[in-house]
Amino acid sequence: MLSRLLIVLMMAGVCYKAQAQKSLPQNMVNVKGGTFVPLYGDENGPVEVQSFLLDAYPVTNAEYAAFLEKNPKWNKGEVKKIFADENYLRHWANGQNIGPDAGKISNSPVVNVSWFAAKAYCECQGKRLPTVAEWEYTALASETKANAANDDKFYQRSLDWYSQPNPKYLPPVQQGFRNYYGAYGMIGLVWEWTQDFNSALLIGESRSDASLDRQLFCGSGSSGAKDVKNYVAFMRYAFRSSLKANYTVGNLGFRCAQSKKNASIKPAKRPAI
Amino acid sequence: MKRYLTIPILLSLALTACTSDESPSSAPPETAAHAAHLTAGGAAGPESLGTVTDMSLYNLESDWKTQAGESIRLVNLKGKVQIVAMVYTSCTYACPRIVADLKRIETSLEKVKRQDVGIVLVTMDPANDTPAQLKTFAAANKLEADRWVLLTGEDAAIQELAVLLNMKYKKAPNGDIAHSNIISVLNANGEIIHQQEGLGVEPDETVKAIEGLLL
Repeated sequence: MLSRLLIVLMMAGVCYKAQAQKSLPQNMVNVKGGTFVPLYGDENGPVEVQSFLLDAYPVTNAEYAAFLEKNPKWNKGEVKKIFADENYLRHWANGQNIGPDAGKISNSPVVNVSWFAAKAYCECQGKRLPTVAEWEYTALASETKANAANDDKFYQRSLDWYSQPNPKYLPPVQQGFRNYYGAYGMIGLVWEWTQDFNSALLIGESRSDASLDRQLFCGSGSSGAKDVKNYVAFMRYAFRSSLKANYTVGNLGFRCAQSKKNASIKPAKRPAI
Repeated sequence: MKRYLTIPILLSLALTACTSDESPSSAPPETAAHAAHLTAGGAAGPESLGTVTDMSLYNLESDWKTQAGESIRLVNLKGKVQIVAMVYTSCTYACPRIVADLKRIETSLEKVKRQDVGIVLVTMDPANDTPAQLKTFAAANKLEADRWVLLTGEDAAIQELAVLLNMKYKKAPNGDIAHSNIISVLNANGEIIHQQEGLGVEPDETVKAIEGLLL
């Protein structure tokens, strides 16, 4: 019995740290479910979001470096181009090292990572990327309100951030504002990957040429928007629609999410030992 | 005691997620060897995985089932030109037209040898499109098994393939799936060399791209 337990513990070395938390995992917040009307949603109206857990902060350079130590397959220079383009981790020195800027950016959001890389990171923590709906739902929250969609000041601050150029060194993740759910920097730090980034902009099946490379936003795409005032959400949807899964961008990072049912411990299938 | 047992169970579950990323050397499922028509030069073993090029879709290591119920990995499609599209069988508007477009491409390929080109249909709706359902669909649409492979897999696997094919799709609560219509041509290594977008597109460009690989 004991030896079996030991073997499992040894084998699981890679990820055990993240999984050792039993109730609310460290640095995750509970986002209570509800409904919201996304900028681009179903014609049926509000979209329901189930309660889920979300990382309080975007993943940092230091955290990503720790992931690479265990998963050298994702090292800069070793990753397959189909999974991350040539600018992958371009702000790092090489391999697994952040390099000379480490002192300044260790605690800043990691950027220049692809969707595949972000997804692999989250899976290694027993998590996943948040869906577009989950992300947008959480981003509606100001410091005090779960839904600040009609708060002009909140909206203006978001707009101001989106219109500023990126700083040379991104600030530490704790510097983002803490929203109603306890998530920091949903707006104001970096853009973030979502699990289904490739679901944006499809309004109906009758669009015979719905595809990535057509500039849908210049055409009927924008007229399908639910709230044309919400320019910040509009930009996020437009940005997502321009991405491919191996793209890496200098201000695009990510954070991970977890479904509630996975968060609670239930006697699942016995592991094959 | 029970309480302590759950931790290793969770740990080993997490382990699966990580090590599957780390072990590209694991062989494709054994049953793949029986799907002889899917592979060039016999069964694809670990050695052929090793020769997958940087931009090959066959870098995806997910498991799939064919309409015949065979387990395969995408690398089993290696060795011939493949024409790939994503559909779902309960789709009434776009998907029949994609299948029609694929057939149109197929009939325009008289200059190339039949065995050099395969056609792959991947479902976006694995909950409904079981291997049996795919088989029924293939029969109803007269998709011959020596050329057409219909695949289903887990949602995550389908999404990974979809993003590499530049497909956008979104499931509506009523079961409909809004999706882009793209036909991709893969060379023998599994790299995308041509994409045809839209429905009812003239097949000339796509046929030319395929002939360019084989003639």
